Amino acid sequence: MDIERILNENLIDLEMNVKTKNEAIQSLTNLLVSVGNIDNSELFIKDVYAREAEGKTGLGNHIAIPHGKSDAVKITSIAVGRTRNGLVWESHDNLPVHVIILFAVRNIDKTTVHLKLLSQVAIALADDETIEKLLTTNNKTEVIKLLSNKMH
Amino acid sequence: MNIVGVAACVAGVAHTYIAKEKLIKAAQKAGHTISMETQGQIGIEDELSSEKIKNADVVILAVDTAIKGRDRFTGKKVVEIPTEVAVHSSGKLIKHIEENLKL
Repeated sequence: MDIERILNENLIDLEMNVKTKNEAIQSLTNLLVSVGNIDNSELFIKDVYAREAEGKTGLGNHIAIPHGKSDAVKITSIAVGRTRNGLVWESHDNLPVHVIILFAVRNIDKTTVHLKLLSQVAIALADDETIEKLLTTNNKTEVIKLLSNKMH
Repeated sequence: MNIVGVAACVAGVAHTYIAKEKLIKAAQKAGHTISMETQGQIGIEDELSSEKIKNADVVILAVDTAIKGRDRFTGKKVVEIPTEVAVHSSGKLIKHIEENLKL
């Protein structure tokens, strides 16, 4: 399967200038809007926060995976951001978050291809070495590769 | 030991799959056999066979929501945890199960 269907270089910002969780979610949402994957940022962010209210999206190790299932999403996809500023984010280890992977999920998907790709990205995030590299690489192509390396 | 399990989070998008993968890694590292079913937005994947369930020493349910087919595990030793615990403490969880099952 082709990860380009859900993630490409236009959806990655390795030098996000944000100081809060809210700014990070807004900034990544803007990326998804700019490529046409989301058509209503306010509605999407509301749905992201509805998910935040259900449980922690900080994974530990400076990574967070906020996600929104929303009518505002036109194409199921992800946006990846990194910031030098440590963001306060609910997680079990309470470490500041530097890498944010925002999952945007359509309310109704005609096929499961995109969802399957998202699940493969989630599986890639279970690998400590992958996390380590995501925190340090300056190469967007490598980010895409890291998040797809478990794909068959 | 033989472990079977089900992972399912509320959105069924991310935590389900991270939990599954973390549990598989931790169990295999400790020398156990493990099969994990996922119930996510895609539906059920890697569905556990009745044979596997029958042969399992323990069932791990990493779930934040109601799952389908819970009655399959009636009479088995079931350890139920939120997906979050599987995501950040799989190693500890497996160790805890080893100690408590005395296998």
